[in-house]
This record gives sequence, structure tokens and C-alpha cells, in this order.
Amino acid sequence: MLDLIDALQSVADGVLFGATYALLGIGFTLIFGVMHKINLSYAAASIGAAYASLLLLAGVKAPPVLVFLMAAACGGVIGALVYFVAFRFIPLANPLATLMSTVGLLLLIDEIVVHATAGVPLNYPALFSDVVIRAGAFNLRGDLMFVFALGCVAMVLLWALLYRTRLGIATRAVSQQPVAAQLCGISIDGVNILTFVITGVLGGLAGAMTGAAIGVLSPLLSLPLTVKGLIVTVIGGLGSIPGAIVAGLLVGGIENVVQFFRGVSERDLYVMMLLFAFLVFRPGGLFAPAAGRD
Amino acid sequence: MLDVADLVTAYGKIEALKGVSLRVESGRITCLLGPNGAGKTTLMMTIAGILQPRRGTVRLDGQELTGLTPARIVAQGVALVPENRLVFPQMSVHENLLAGAYQRRGRGEIASDVERMYARFPRLQERRAQLAGTLSGGEQQMLAVARALMSRPRVLLMDEPSLGLAPLVVAEIFRIVGELNRDGTTIFLVEQNAHMALQVAHHFYLMEQGRVTFSGTPGELAEDEVVQRAYLGARRAAG
Repeated sequence: MLDLIDALQSVADGVLFGATYALLGIGFTLIFGVMHKINLSYAAASIGAAYASLLLLAGVKAPPVLVFLMAAACGGVIGALVYFVAFRFIPLANPLATLMSTVGLLLLIDEIVVHATAGVPLNYPALFSDVVIRAGAFNLRGDLMFVFALGCVAMVLLWALLYRTRLGIATRAVSQQPVAAQLCGISIDGVNILTFVITGVLGGLAGAMTGAAIGVLSPLLSLPLTVKGLIVTVIGGLGSIPGAIVAGLLVGGIENVVQFFRGVSERDLYVMMLLFAFLVFRPGGLFAPAAGRD
Repeated sequence: MLDVADLVTAYGKIEALKGVSLRVESGRITCLLGPNGAGKTTLMMTIAGILQPRRGTVRLDGQELTGLTPARIVAQGVALVPENRLVFPQMSVHENLLAGAYQRRGRGEIASDVERMYARFPRLQERRAQLAGTLSGGEQQMLAVARALMSRPRVLLMDEPSLGLAPLVVAEIFRIVGELNRDGTTIFLVEQNAHMALQVAHHFYLMEQGRVTFSGTPGELAEDEVVQRAYLGARRAAG
């Protein structure tokens, strides 16, 4: 009985933390939707943004909320930089070119972080870490609840931006029919920059949320987060935002319950098996028609 | 009004336009006829700025359009209804129209223009909340025309609006073309349907293998002659 409660508890914790995976998945998927490119530097840039918020506010005793907002802002700036360095002047017709440029950027961002911090993990502030909400037999951690709530707010804002504004129409137009979008007077370059800034903001938040949930930031985070973000994107279906959200929470819950039963060393093995199952049986992701691609 | 001079557009080494010159007069319907592969769509895409010409100029009322981005060309008053319509499939009919007005400011004016489109195309009003990808071919064509008109163009370019449509729907599309023109819109129309095109056109050009080979009014050349050259290619080749 105690086991079951603990198992459910670990699922709940995992789903709450899964909000960060969902944000990363949304970022990968949005860029793919607009440019039909994978940005492999995305998770590294997100961690980089969280680092930047710490380093920029190092001198002042900033409240955690300010650190989070700073991470989002840094994420936006880094997103624009990533676009100009790894996409703007790279031949987009070559499918490998931007893959290579973003891998290079991933390594570069990691190097910058390591050099700026001497490779030592930094403590990241958490909000409501002393709050525990008791619901029956379960304890809901305040810091994870906050991370989850923040993720939800970011997703609602993103939805409103995409479906309730003129820029959202432009973004969707470019992702659905780029030639017609240009004929409507929409600048593809403008939409690309906007997409990288938006996904950068989401990534910065995800980086801050990761730091807050774990308590520290380490350059070792960027590779596992890149892999998780890509897994979430594939399971959710490339280009599908609802898919990325559901897949993010799913992966978060599953990896935590696997960790509870089988230990941390086997955790990623099961996540990989989940990915494998999707690639074989549902290559188009959660919400794609069973036939898969397009 | 719209002047194209000595336009050369190439895909790699292959020149699709080999020095095209033509003129679209204000307030009229000008047609461009020609067989598959003559370069008609290439010409439209070059005028709209999607393709960059290697040589030559496009001018609107004397103002140079060559080299401008597609967005700037829309701002100058040129709108293209592309071949195959290219509606935004996952957006509602209403959102498609709003996308067409992307460069305009003033919500009130845009809203009244949307209502004007619904008055002209009642089918679109019925389906305003429906995803554009679920419309029939004819409805998508009307949506593509309405979307282009939402930018309030001075010249409306239409690339094969009759493509793949049933005869009754084609007649409806051409009725709309005539109506738009009577309301003052200058139209430059690319067509394979020579019969329908010659009925509405004030002036027409024949294009073969990247060159303009005839320019005149519909009365000047017998329809079967036009059809032969438009469908079968050069008369010389036909013997």
C-alpha cells in the first residue's frame, strides 16, 4: 500500500517537472513548424539563459521571480543570436547544414558556460520550496507546483499569441504555406526571428524551471535535456504543440516512476524504449493519424 | 500601369524567361496564354518577387519593383492569386482573409473589407469558421481571390484560377473576374483555358518557350489559332 502511494507520488512529481520538458518540446516543435529545421542547440541555449540570469544578477540580491524573468529575457536574446549565427546565413536547402551549425552552437554554448563558471555547478533559487501541500496521502512540493504553474502560464500566453494576434496569424501562415505567406506581405525572415525569440523565452523559462526544481545548474544538464526535448518532440509529433505538451508531461511522469521502481541508472533506458515504441508503431507522434507522416 | 521589360529569370542554367516584355493597362483585363512550361507561372512569381530575375525590370506606374522583397511589392499594390490557390489549410476562412490584410493597419477598415468579401462571396461567409483545407476547390479559389483583395491591390495577378475546377465553377470564377474588373480592379490573368480567357480579356499575350510571341486584342487572332498555339505550342513546330 505504501509502495503504491509512493509510486503515485513519484508520477505526480514527474508530471509536474514534465512541464519543463513540455516547454522544451514546444520550442523544438515550433522552430520545426516554421522553418522545418531541428535546432539542436535549443536545450543548451535554454540552460545558457538560466546561467546568464544568475551571472547578470550575481551582484544584487535579486528575488527569485526576477531571476526567472531575467532567464526568460536572456533566452529571447540568445534565441535571436542563435538564429543569426546558425540559420540566417546558412544554406537552408541543405538539410544537414543547419544540423551541423546548431550542433556546433550547442558545443560552443556549453564551452562558454564552463569557462564562465569554471565548470562548478551553481545554486539556483527556487520559489515556494518550503511549501508542501498535503492532499490526502500525497505531498505536493511547492517548488514543483510553482514550476508547473509557470509552465502552464507560459503555454497559455503562447496559445494566445499564436491564435489571438496578428503576429500569430503570420507565424502560422509561414508554417503552413510559406509562399502564400510572402504573397500576403508577411516577411519570412521577420517571422523566423520572432519564432526564435519566442522559443528562446520559453527555453529560458524551462532552463530556470530546471534549475529551480533540481536546485543547481550544471553544464552537464544540456545534453540530457537536448535528448529529452527531442524525444518529447518525436513522441508529440514534429510540429504539434499539443503533442509536445502531452508528451512532455508523459515523459516526465514515466521517467520518475521508472526511477522509483528501477533506480536512476535504468531510468533513461525505459524512456528510450518508449521512444522506440513510438518510432515503430506511431512514427507521426501522439496526435498524428496512424499512418504517420503528414 | 504594370510594365515588364526584357525580363530574364533562370533556374540554374535554364532560362525560363528569355527576355519577356509586356504591359498591363490600368482598369483592364490582360491575359497571358500559353502551353505548359512556357514560363507563365515563372513570370507571375518574378513579378511578385518570389523569384529574382537575372535581368530586366518590373515597374508599377513607373516605380521600380525589381529587387524588392515580396512583402514590399504587396505594399506597392501588387497581389498575386497563386497557382493551386495555396490557401492556409489549417487556418479558418476568416483567418485566411485577415492574413491577406497583414500589412494594413486599422481594425475597423479591415473588418469592413472582410464583410465586403463575404458579401461578394457568400459561400465564404457560410464557411467563415471552417478550416480552409476542408473547402472544395472552387471555394478555395474564391478564398484565394478574396485573400489577395484584402491587401487592396492596384493590380490583381491571377495564375490559372480555373485549374482543376468543374466547368460550372470555372464559369463562376470568370464571372467574378469580370465583376471585379467592372468595379475598377486591374487584372493580369494567366490561363490555359483560352476560350474563357478570350471572352473576358481586353488584351492578350501569347507566350511560348519563355518568349512573348503575340500581342493583340481577342478579335485579332482567330480563337482556334490561339488555341492551337496555346495548347500545341509553336505553329512552326506544328508544321
